[in-house]
Amino acid sequence: MTSKAPTALAVALALAVGGVMPATAQGPIRIGASLSLTGTYAKLGKNQHEGYQLCEKEVNGKGGLLGRKVQFVVYDDQSMPATAVRLYEKLITEDMVDAIMGPYSSPVTEAAVNVTEKYKKVMVAPLAATTSIFKKGRKYIFMVISPAEVYLEGLVDMAAKRGLKTVAVVNEDTLFSKAAASGAVELAKKKGMQVVFTEAYPKGNTDFSALLTKIKAANPDVIAAATYFDDAVALTRQMKELNVNPKMYGVTVGGDLPEFYDTLKQNAEYIYGATQWEHTLPYAGNQEWFESYKKEFAHDPSYHSAAGYAGCLVYAEAAKRANSLDADKVREQLLKLEMRTIFGDYKVDADGFQVAHKMVTFQWQKEKKVTVWPDDLSKGKPLFPTPAWTGR
Amino acid sequence: MAAAILSVLAALAAYPVVGTGYGVRSVQQIFMWIALAGSWNLISGLTGYVSFGHVAFFGAGAYAGAILVASAGWPWPLAALAGGAAAVVLAVVIGYPCLRLKGPYFAIAMLGLNEVLRALVSYFEGLTGGGNGLSLPTLDASVPIYYVMGVLAVVVTAMSWLIVTSRFGLRLMTIREDEVAAEAMGIDTFHHKLAALLLSAVGPGVAGALMARDQGYIEPISVFPLAITVTMIVMALFGGKGTVFGPVLGAAALFVAQEIVWARYPYVHPLLFGAIIVGVVLLMPRGVLGLLQQRYRLPRTI
Repeated sequence: MTSKAPTALAVALALAVGGVMPATAQGPIRIGASLSLTGTYAKLGKNQHEGYQLCEKEVNGKGGLLGRKVQFVVYDDQSMPATAVRLYEKLITEDMVDAIMGPYSSPVTEAAVNVTEKYKKVMVAPLAATTSIFKKGRKYIFMVISPAEVYLEGLVDMAAKRGLKTVAVVNEDTLFSKAAASGAVELAKKKGMQVVFTEAYPKGNTDFSALLTKIKAANPDVIAAATYFDDAVALTRQMKELNVNPKMYGVTVGGDLPEFYDTLKQNAEYIYGATQWEHTLPYAGNQEWFESYKKEFAHDPSYHSAAGYAGCLVYAEAAKRANSLDADKVREQLLKLEMRTIFGDYKVDADGFQVAHKMVTFQWQKEKKVTVWPDDLSKGKPLFPTPAWTGR
Repeated sequence: MAAAILSVLAALAAYPVVGTGYGVRSVQQIFMWIALAGSWNLISGLTGYVSFGHVAFFGAGAYAGAILVASAGWPWPLAALAGGAAAVVLAVVIGYPCLRLKGPYFAIAMLGLNEVLRALVSYFEGLTGGGNGLSLPTLDASVPIYYVMGVLAVVVTAMSWLIVTSRFGLRLMTIREDEVAAEAMGIDTFHHKLAALLLSAVGPGVAGALMARDQGYIEPISVFPLAITVTMIVMALFGGKGTVFGPVLGAAALFVAQEIVWARYPYVHPLLFGAIIVGVVLLMPRGVLGLLQQRYRLPRTI
């Protein structure tokens, strides 16, 4: 090889990797996001993506934003924080997108936000529920869903009102579940209840017999479990096998999926669960949105779909009020904005931390999820106390 | 040859001046994969002792570096060196018992080591943040990290060249071809294998610590995934295992291909990766460089 060829090769490589694309002035407003289209969170990331798509369609149907069409530019981050970091850098420095929306999950957001803060880009992060992300002095990130800490609030509140005294809290040992469990413990103490047992189990755990034997010995009135889907199902099954009978038993994520009832059948009756959103909640346009989503994508939306959709609308509203896409002007509006969408209320404190959105607690009653908390959003009354396993 | 290498290095050194943020980060990632694939090649390509858990060194380096930055306030370049040291310590712990044995025990132990580390990191919450992960203070050091990662890639590659062209390297390759014969010739196979493993742990350890600093946030699931081990193996195999520049070629080619394919066809990517593994093993077991060496008169030591 002569010495010229490799130089040319290196230059070509550099250009291929780092080619700069000119940004057009009056094309559509391009909104960039990396989403978990493959990998661990694929199913949930896909729903969020569909929420974004529906928002894009609606905004364009109403004449666009600031007189321009909007268009999403979405890449797949494989549910990996490292990939998301690179993709946000690509969206900002190469694709030169006009705006940014958040990725799926707390860990991915926690990594990606370092990039958006570096370039001073506003990021509405509709699917990050971990409080700490928003409490590190970051300026341009905004929260949409309720924080993990309040997932079990409804269960604890209802228990306290009914005069129950003791609670056991268990959780999966990951970012979100830990926060949900610590929130439940704090709240129970505040309401004068006694936390008689706490334990974390590793992700992927399937055998809960040791844990449940200890709970049975502590004999709590309430079992609050910060779970995902698989552990929620396994925990419930083994509670029945070991005949553990609390007066109330609630789970967090997973309990709201139709699969939860399909798998457990009548054993799911009386179990409480928490969710960010249900299509039955009395927010204006909620039911219509549910129908149009089903028509568009041929399956039911989850709260991830609704949060993605709502987060995108929140950004669009703030940009409209700012009459600009400038990060500081949009930020100012996002801090002031109070807005109700089909997902519920949006309002943040000075850190961009969500303070208005409400979690709801439901109970499985006769194959249906009935919203039982908070009172102003609930449709029915909780069936209390939970009968023994033999009596269901 | 030397002039060619120098001009490539000069172009890469000048790149951050003209490159975008994304370009700089991408080339930095290529450097990282060169260091990882090249390091894997030192133990597995040369001695034939396949490591299915090299990501354990990467993850150990990441946590060691991140903890030193977050809790002890070390500057990141020092923490990166400490990450390398932590990986070497880990290599001694696992290599000392396992490399005394011949056969597949080492491969299996490495696979297990990675899982054990992930569980340990989740367990010692006070130090590592457990499942919450570890968040580092925000710092914009993309360009300095680019250069340090580049130096790391060069060091790993230069080390490979020194080893391949030395008596030490020849002995390692003798072990790969026939370990019993190597022993019969008087080679202390255990100490040679152990030395190769220690050298191959440094690069991933330093790379892990640099990655942790650059990304600003790590968690057990994202620094100990099997996928990183698989990727470095595929890169080394594709370029040519047991060669000096094979891992460099494999890392650069596959990373660029991945980056282009990922962006457009997310669902095709895992399939394509699997196809590359099968294709390489069946059609060119010695990789691209091995094939070129067979076809043309190229030196053995590239």
